[in-house]
Amino acid sequence: MAMAEKFDSLEEHLEKFVENIRQLGIIVSDFQPSSQTGLNQKLNFMVTGLQDIDKCRQQLHDISVPLEVFEYIDQGRNPQLYTKECLERALAKNEQVKGKIDTMKKFKSLLIQELTKVFPEDMAKYKAIRGEDPPP
Amino acid sequence: MENFSALFGGAEPPPAAAAAALGFGPAKAPGAGSAPPPAAAAPPPGEDAARKAASGPFYLLRELPGTTELTGSTNLITHYNLEHAYNKFCGKKVKEKLSNFLPDLPGMIDLPGSHDNSSLRSLIEKPPICGSSFTPLTGTMLTGFRLHAGPLPEQCRLMHIQPPKKKNKHKHKQSRTQDPVPPETPSDSDHKKKKKKKEEDPERKRKKKEKKKKKNRHSPEHPGVGSSQASSSSSLR
Repeated sequence: MAMAEKFDSLEEHLEKFVENIRQLGIIVSDFQPSSQTGLNQKLNFMVTGLQDIDKCRQQLHDISVPLEVFEYIDQGRNPQLYTKECLERALAKNEQVKGKIDTMKKFKSLLIQELTKVFPEDMAKYKAIRGEDPPP
Repeated sequence: MENFSALFGGAEPPPAAAAAALGFGPAKAPGAGSAPPPAAAAPPPGEDAARKAASGPFYLLRELPGTTELTGSTNLITHYNLEHAYNKFCGKKVKEKLSNFLPDLPGMIDLPGSHDNSSLRSLIEKPPICGSSFTPLTGTMLTGFRLHAGPLPEQCRLMHIQPPKKKNKHKHKQSRTQDPVPPETPSDSDHKKKKKKKEEDPERKRKKKEKKKKKNRHSPEHPGVGSSQASSSSSLR
């Protein structure tokens, strides 16, 4: 919960900053001499906005962002796609490893079975050391 | 995995030695497994299993890793309580564009950052040269921001260009149907008038036709239907 509050505060400051910049853009796009004081005010808001964002840094020092996300953003792509692809890759790899483990377990039990036929005495000793393995 | 490593010695033993340990050596009789191992294939010192092996027919045996160790055999997504995130991102289609993620951000944000030199990577690779703190601009500093009156040239107005939003159209349609008294636009009223005309047209045509028929029956120039039929019948005779 505390974590969400930290992000909320940063998000709020960023939104205010972006809005201020947007308004600044509007003032500048068709500048009138009368709007000089407004422009000065916006410029100083920008500085205070940056100060506020900088203060948020202390609360978020333990957050790390993968560099790959920046590539998505730089290419104008939704960064949620990165999360999606990461989860999909993790699941695929997880399934692959599980398959390998299951196959190895089967292989082990078959090997023990066959070795017991050929080397019954040795395998009896082996089982005495290791104990009976659960079936795969 | 753990069982596999337990059986084969775990920490990458030399393959020849492992094969020999299991009795797969080329010229070994079934009873040869109980023979003492050659010195070259001796296990690394300090291992409990290795000590055991000295007394028995096995060597290169390691202790089994703990069963509590997390491996790929468990579903790691459920283990780390990420089902919600998985369903959220993988259950439905995630929209491709950055503007779908940040819909309120002004400007054309879907364009690659390399186009206008606004990429985050360039910010990391070439960080801006600035001080460690932000200080407010003083009156004299602000004099540097005195601008000329008038609009910006075309090429500098990128800030106001927004990517087209498809959602707005849909919302507009919905609001139209939901509004109890929709505002009448000229195009709407025209459309209604046209519809009315279309609806009235067939009725008018019918009435006109009936009137014409009546006129035709009574007029001396155009004889009625019955008379024409009579004339035709007479001609046949």
